[in-house]
Amino acid sequence: MVRQVLFWVLLYCLNAAVLAANTPQKSVNISDGQQVMLAMAAAMKSLNYQGTVIFLKNGKLEAMKYFHAAKNEVEQERLLSLNSPLREIIRDANRISCHFISTQQVIVDQRPVESSLLFDMPKNIAEQGLAYGFSVVGEEDVAMRPAIVIALQPKDNYRYVRKIWVEKNYFLPLKVVIYDFSGLPLEQVMFTELELIDSLPFVSFNRSEREIALSNNNSLSSGPFAQPEARLSLPNFVVTHIPYGFQQIFFARSPVHNSSQLVDHMVLSDGFSAVSVYMESKSAAMQSGLQSIGAVNSFSRALGDFELTVMGEVPASTVEYIADGIKLREVTQ
Amino acid sequence: MHEDLNQKISQFLDNELSREEADSVLQKIRIQPELKSRWDRYEAISNAIKTSAYVHPRSDFLAKVNQQIQHEPVYLLPKNHLLVKAQPGMGMTVNVKLALAASLAVVAILVGQRINRAEAPIKLASPIQLAQQRINQPASRLVSGSYQSGQYPTNTRMIDYLQAHNNSVFTNGDIHIRPFAVVAAPSQE
Repeated sequence: MVRQVLFWVLLYCLNAAVLAANTPQKSVNISDGQQVMLAMAAAMKSLNYQGTVIFLKNGKLEAMKYFHAAKNEVEQERLLSLNSPLREIIRDANRISCHFISTQQVIVDQRPVESSLLFDMPKNIAEQGLAYGFSVVGEEDVAMRPAIVIALQPKDNYRYVRKIWVEKNYFLPLKVVIYDFSGLPLEQVMFTELELIDSLPFVSFNRSEREIALSNNNSLSSGPFAQPEARLSLPNFVVTHIPYGFQQIFFARSPVHNSSQLVDHMVLSDGFSAVSVYMESKSAAMQSGLQSIGAVNSFSRALGDFELTVMGEVPASTVEYIADGIKLREVTQ
Repeated sequence: MHEDLNQKISQFLDNELSREEADSVLQKIRIQPELKSRWDRYEAISNAIKTSAYVHPRSDFLAKVNQQIQHEPVYLLPKNHLLVKAQPGMGMTVNVKLALAASLAVVAILVGQRINRAEAPIKLASPIQLAQQRINQPASRLVSGSYQSGQYPTNTRMIDYLQAHNNSVFTNGDIHIRPFAVVAAPSQE
């Protein structure tokens, strides 16, 4: 009898310890949107979880299995597509590898400015408080889990409204929706089921050492975020119209088009939305004016002997505003 | 030379040529039937990539349709089988008269349409004509295009920019990842 009681007490303590370890924020005021967002950012990085997530972008629906492994402050994200083309995407820090199952082809890309495969999150949410208001606008169930609904209301018209459904117990994001100015959803990312796991293995593609070495070499020499020495250069342009809260987080001069022609690529971000500025020698290939692909808008125009394109998940007026304020850098600058 | 022309046709379909280059390609396609055929193939491939429901007709398809229309017999008046047998010594009833009038009206419309078709053969814009119209359209600074829901840009530069901009190309079902970072294909080793 005593043994049985001891067994159950031990089991209870063990469960409590696991739950405590997997609950990152013990005292979060769930009526404070900013606190919930901070708790979410911490939970996304530190917990082990997996589930099925759907991406609805530009009218296309994509369902994928999602895995997030975390150990000793090291993270790995993994996406496994459920539909053709079957592929597995792994993010290890700044490196993304995409493995196509049918062709056994592996694509490796360096992504130094993104922290999640699900959606962009600022490193310091408190700093974004002046550009966005974070307010709790309700409670709903998503994927059969109770969630707090946070509205990210921009304080100007340079960015989109977002809503994030944050799981009430573990503060993981269950759903993110980007809305246009008329309130229509532009993009959605949503878990249809989510499960917390004590630990998840870190995986890697089954490739030989030679192939791994080759991938590192190639991705650094020819990828969009390539040529470390080129990053030290100054861009050929100056951005004079930068909406409040946006700042330059990246610049590289690299052969984006798989050719010897180098392209200046600057990334501006307010933490939730990123805007890329591209400038390269003028050619006939680029169509001037505005173009839209789902939530992504781009604006292209000629600038001297160069062609300029500003692209990002921001309203069309924002990319046009930024593009209009770009000037060629003077030699003396 | 041929390789160069193939490349030009491909670039034209991707909207990557200047106006002068595009005009030159169109001129050559008009003159050389072999190039026209190649153009049709490239167009078919391009459409098959962009949409999943493109059926490319055979080159003689339109000619055969026109030929068939020319040989189609023209029926002017309905024969007796449409008439109700009248009782001997009685005129046609009101219903029969109405039915006959309605039938005549329908036949007149159909015949009229057929005659119109015979006079003006069916004209479908060929890809070349459509491309020519596209080139002649004035460029607008303000709005050059919005991709429809589910549609992915075909302009290679735009694809490159999207890929460099964020990692959504990996989660997008329409895989258009440019192979600049292709690094390993074990099956080819």
